[in-house]
Amino acid sequence: MQKITNYFKKADRIALALLIGSVLIFVLMGVTHPKFFGKSNLQSMLIQCPEYGILAFGMMIAMIAGGIDLSLVGIANLSGIVAAVLMLRMGGTNLSIGIGIVAAVLVGSLCGLFNGFIIGFLDIPAMLVTLCGLQLYSGLALIITKGPAITGLPETFSNIANGKLLGVPIGAIVFVLIAILLCYLLYYTVFGKSLYLMGTNKIASRFSGINNLRITMLTYCLSGIFGSLAGILMASHYNSAKSDYGTSYTLLTLLIVVLGGVNPNGGRGKVMGVVMSIILLQLVSSAFNILRVNAFVKTFAWGLILILVTTATYLTAQKEARD
Amino acid sequence: MNQKIRNFLTSNEMIVVYIIAGLAILIGSVNHAFNSISTVVNLARTMLVTLIFAMCEMLVIVSGGIDVSFPAIASLAMIATGNIMLKNGLDNVPLAFLMGAIIGGVLGTLNAVLIAVVKMPPLIATLGVSSMTSGATLAIFGAKILTVLPAKLDELYKVSLFTYTNPEGITYSLTVLFLIPIGICLLMWFLLKYTMFGRGIYATGGDIRAARIAGFNVTAIQFFVYIMSGILSGIAGITYMILMRAADPSVLMGSEMMVIAAVVMGGTRITGGHGTVLGTILGVTLISLIKNNLIMLGVPTHFQTFVIGLIMIVGTSITSLKAKHIANSAKI
Repeated sequence: MQKITNYFKKADRIALALLIGSVLIFVLMGVTHPKFFGKSNLQSMLIQCPEYGILAFGMMIAMIAGGIDLSLVGIANLSGIVAAVLMLRMGGTNLSIGIGIVAAVLVGSLCGLFNGFIIGFLDIPAMLVTLCGLQLYSGLALIITKGPAITGLPETFSNIANGKLLGVPIGAIVFVLIAILLCYLLYYTVFGKSLYLMGTNKIASRFSGINNLRITMLTYCLSGIFGSLAGILMASHYNSAKSDYGTSYTLLTLLIVVLGGVNPNGGRGKVMGVVMSIILLQLVSSAFNILRVNAFVKTFAWGLILILVTTATYLTAQKEARD
Repeated sequence: MNQKIRNFLTSNEMIVVYIIAGLAILIGSVNHAFNSISTVVNLARTMLVTLIFAMCEMLVIVSGGIDVSFPAIASLAMIATGNIMLKNGLDNVPLAFLMGAIIGGVLGTLNAVLIAVVKMPPLIATLGVSSMTSGATLAIFGAKILTVLPAKLDELYKVSLFTYTNPEGITYSLTVLFLIPIGICLLMWFLLKYTMFGRGIYATGGDIRAARIAGFNVTAIQFFVYIMSGILSGIAGITYMILMRAADPSVLMGSEMMVIAAVVMGGTRITGGHGTVLGTILGVTLISLIKNNLIMLGVPTHFQTFVIGLIMIVGTSITSLKAKHIANSAKI
């Protein structure tokens, strides 16, 4: 018995709370609306959540580094558009799809490196730089598309997000792979340790011999790559690319990350918590859809949940400090 | 004396003045249609609401925070006031502004509580409030655009400070609403420059702990800043409704980037503690000039987002490099 309680104490409390919340919603919705357990609902959930789930991972590492990345949606759209344009120019063969995806990832990493360089080298707050970045990248996307969506992408490309491998949507598999990769990067590499240290205390990390500029640039580069992967999934899911897709994802990713227990001041945050909060939010979102709640109410609910969760975190932290 | 003049000529405000002058000369020489009074009138019209927003954003940034909820607050104030007045047959200009200010004030208080009491990072708090507000606006009042306003509000649109008719017979008139941002600017200038409370806002933005130790009531200052920002946003929403003669719940959304760009261009440091009213006015002028007249240079409108982003990143880099230079220079 002692062992079990110890185990629970050691386990991530936030992830556990989120897991319990998810199970509750799952059971409640499943009992009242059997459609919730239907194959189509489960599959549409698995197609939707990788898009913003991957964006949330980008936001997460930026936040662990003590910053924030508001340009992710801009990067996603820009790289989706670059991939789409390249594919159409080269005739939509399988080779062109490969080239398009590689180019998109390249664009994402370049955008991220640019963010990271300005943040690390000029010491401008990450929030401002990435806000500018959002403007810049969506501006570039707008220049390329001139406004309307790019459509008529090859069918093989749209199979990436809509296709299945052993009954599981490919996007979900990509998502799981990225989560595992991120676990490895954050917990078992020097980069991960330096990232946490830099997020906790920049000055201390510089004095302990960490090259802050290099870590910052790598972090935002990685975040940009995640952005571009999400962009590819988005373009593939909608079978088109546009400069203002997914504008609501910025708030949603912030909400996911804060809900998942990542400290907005940097230095703290676990992959498991973020994964759990992605699952919980997707369940809430699907529940809203099945209950036919107005989409605007959903926006309201996201804001409310964000505020309530941060308030609750603050209150528990204060209580612990008092004890 | 010489040093003073040099300091004046290289101040943030003067740099913006140079850029505005250069841009005006460039546009004027490329396109002669620019050189007329109509440009000034149009510019003033574009600047009107942006200037009110910029004033509240400047106040918040100087105090060391940030507010991205003002477009949502302004939209709610606009739509709610319009709908309530039409449904109850109310028709009174001061009442409209009062209602806008109250709605803004309530939401501003929510921001203030989250930031000053719960100690949430300002960006996350205001993003959350923004999402809640815009969701509530659309869920309660729908996405419908109000095109018929109460008669007295509509009449205010036609009152003008001066009118000008160009040789082709097109009349340009500067609306009386322009007095609102002028009044707010004067108020802000007085508050920030000549009151102890205003100096406390700068102190809070510079170093919140030092300000507390120096005896400023930091919580009260933060409350004041966010409530003021909310009230001004509400007023801006009503002004916009009268100016456009319609209440559109989504037209203001997304304007926060432009406003932050204008404030930062005007030399306000995003980390807090620095910023002037004059600089903000100049920043708004510059951004409005670009927004209105980029097309006169032959640049297509879809370049606009990119150009504003570029100007922002260059502007902030210059301010940051300057701050770095000052920090690294020898201190006597």
